[in-house]
Amino acid sequence: MERAQRRWRKVAYGGMQPGYDDNHTDDTFLQEMVMNANVVKRDMLKVMLDSVSISQYLCIVALVVLVWTHTLNSTITENFLIVLDITLVGSGFFILLLTAKMLSFNLLLSYATKISFFTTGLYVLSPIYHTLTRSISSDSIWALTTFLVILHLFLHNYSGSTIKAPGALENPTLTSNISLNASIVASLLIASRLPSRLLVFAIILFSLQVFLFAPLVTYCLKKYSFRLHLFVSFLLMAMTLTWVYRLHKLLFVVLLGLLVFVNLVCPYWLIRIQEYKFEINGPWDEAKLCFNITD
Amino acid sequence: MELKEGKHRILMVSDFFYPNFGGVENHIYLLSQCLLKLGHKVVVMTHAYGNRSGVRYMTNGLKVYYVPWKPFLMQNTLPTFYGTLPIIRTILIRERISLVHGHQAFSTLCHEALMHARTMGYKVIFTDHSLYGFSDIGSIHMNKVLQFTLADVSQAICVSHTSKENTVLRSGLPPEKVYVIPNAVDTTMFKPAPERLCMDPIVIVVISRLVYRKGADLLVEVIPEVCHLYPNVRFIIGGDGPKRVRLEEMREKHSLQDRVDMLGAVPHAKVRSVLNSGHIFLNSSLTEAFCIAILEAASCGLLTVSTRVGGVPEVLPDDMIVLAKPDPSDMVHAIKKAIRILPHIDPQEMHLRMKEMYSWHDVAKRTEIVYDHALRCSNQTLLERLPRYLTCGAWAGKLFCLVMIIDFILWRLLQLWQPDSEVEPVPDFKPTELKRG
Repeated sequence: MERAQRRWRKVAYGGMQPGYDDNHTDDTFLQEMVMNANVVKRDMLKVMLDSVSISQYLCIVALVVLVWTHTLNSTITENFLIVLDITLVGSGFFILLLTAKMLSFNLLLSYATKISFFTTGLYVLSPIYHTLTRSISSDSIWALTTFLVILHLFLHNYSGSTIKAPGALENPTLTSNISLNASIVASLLIASRLPSRLLVFAIILFSLQVFLFAPLVTYCLKKYSFRLHLFVSFLLMAMTLTWVYRLHKLLFVVLLGLLVFVNLVCPYWLIRIQEYKFEINGPWDEAKLCFNITD
Repeated sequence: MELKEGKHRILMVSDFFYPNFGGVENHIYLLSQCLLKLGHKVVVMTHAYGNRSGVRYMTNGLKVYYVPWKPFLMQNTLPTFYGTLPIIRTILIRERISLVHGHQAFSTLCHEALMHARTMGYKVIFTDHSLYGFSDIGSIHMNKVLQFTLADVSQAICVSHTSKENTVLRSGLPPEKVYVIPNAVDTTMFKPAPERLCMDPIVIVVISRLVYRKGADLLVEVIPEVCHLYPNVRFIIGGDGPKRVRLEEMREKHSLQDRVDMLGAVPHAKVRSVLNSGHIFLNSSLTEAFCIAILEAASCGLLTVSTRVGGVPEVLPDDMIVLAKPDPSDMVHAIKKAIRILPHIDPQEMHLRMKEMYSWHDVAKRTEIVYDHALRCSNQTLLERLPRYLTCGAWAGKLFCLVMIIDFILWRLLQLWQPDSEVEPVPDFKPTELKRG
């Protein structure tokens, strides 16, 4: 008896389907598989412009290291450092107030009290920092500091700010916190090698200001105007390169190479390896919730 | 006593077995029982649970080896690669096993047993009970391990067509080697209440572990909405887990204490009575290879509302289930539809249909066919098998080969130390003989 064979259906109920084995593979097999659904086409120019924020931060860190070196070589005086601290706080505040549009007297007052408490605490503690690593050899300190700075640069969150910026959605991640702590430890280590307490105080204050607030300031600046952000970045790069050139020729070459690598080679590389992107999605994926879970 | 022609001696291996409870455990137990009834010999191997270690017998003479290896994470034994070789070899020889059947992709014991069994030249079958993505580190690692095990299995079984697609993609196995044999439900255990429940109030039952993957967060959004729309709807939530607190918070926030019952963990024996107190079963899983809970509910005559994820759409015919996208508004919509068609649902009729559609006996018969296919595969030497591992990846392939070669050498050493002929085989006995004795 030749009965019209029923079509195979993609169902699990009803036992074995008559005429088809359990390992039957239909045309519909893997029909619902979607490949590379979320892949974004990247534009070379856009990637290059985005990578500017990385080189900007590289320059900021290079500037800090420059200040450290000059202080250790005693080419910078205490007074110069303190003036630098005050200008930094002032200009940082100024940029924040202008870009984030949060001018209010109460806020300013609360910031002022917090900063004064913080500075006083630092000043009181500076004798302790001064003698903190006396029993450790200088070589270990240099090695450890270099390692910490590299760690800081590797784990730094270049797209946001560890200090929560006004209006930022994401909370800081574990890696960005590790990065921040690495930079703080590095500055304490450097400070403990300095000859006078006032210098220790000034250098720690300077480093903390930069490591804590520079990402916040640059983040606000970038949100305010991208052109301004680009302008500031190139200005910073030029400044850093000049000063590094004056300090050491080889370091200048290294920094220049690094900047070229970050801004030109890496974007090109990223675009090139995009074609190897292979993403598989299908009905087996865990469904994503379309709302935020508030715990 | 010798087994009849065409009957096999099967070793089921998994980290997951009673007294632990879940879908895989249930599957192994019920499949083994049906295979025993078909005249095969079945032995189960799992790791020790607490002080339950050694050999136990279950219903109908199902022999269970609780191997004295302690679990270290989520009921899994510590992966040692070769640590379990001696005991697995002894069991295989003592029980004169002809086929090894491993269950569940994240059971280390299963992977090790399949590896040793292949080294010793046994035919192996693997059943995959879960779905995996391809994007996170955990999945990538699991997929590599699965690729290693599946590189050399005789046949593989999946519980749904979606699961088959997933397994084929993850392991690179040819699709014709992968069989789809769904789970089943013991319809004699899950019967509807003899008398039809009153339609006021309408009771919606949820039984699942309250974790993220089971969509407990969806419930938090859906329940208040439904309670607001229908004043005559009540919820019964069975299950426990980290998200229970969130559900309780939701209940307080919307003052639904008298309309949402939280039962806590429900022992499997009581699931039926909980199901029988409701009209609609709500499943909010975010990922599911098959979902036995839906079968149990349908067998009790409940109309199911479920998220459309994984293998769920294949499980029931369209008139027995209402599917929704995993977002709250669509699920509320689906519940509305379910409440509308509820008067046309006859639980007794649904139960009878389920009886037709799913039985463990059918599953066992279909598994038997897979066993026959596996035994017909040709025997291969180590050298013939190694190229399959080599194709698993540039680095991984060589590593897998090395692992298999060392396993082979260890096996030969063990044979020198204690030849196969010195291992005493166990006499077989039928459960009927047990009764007489």
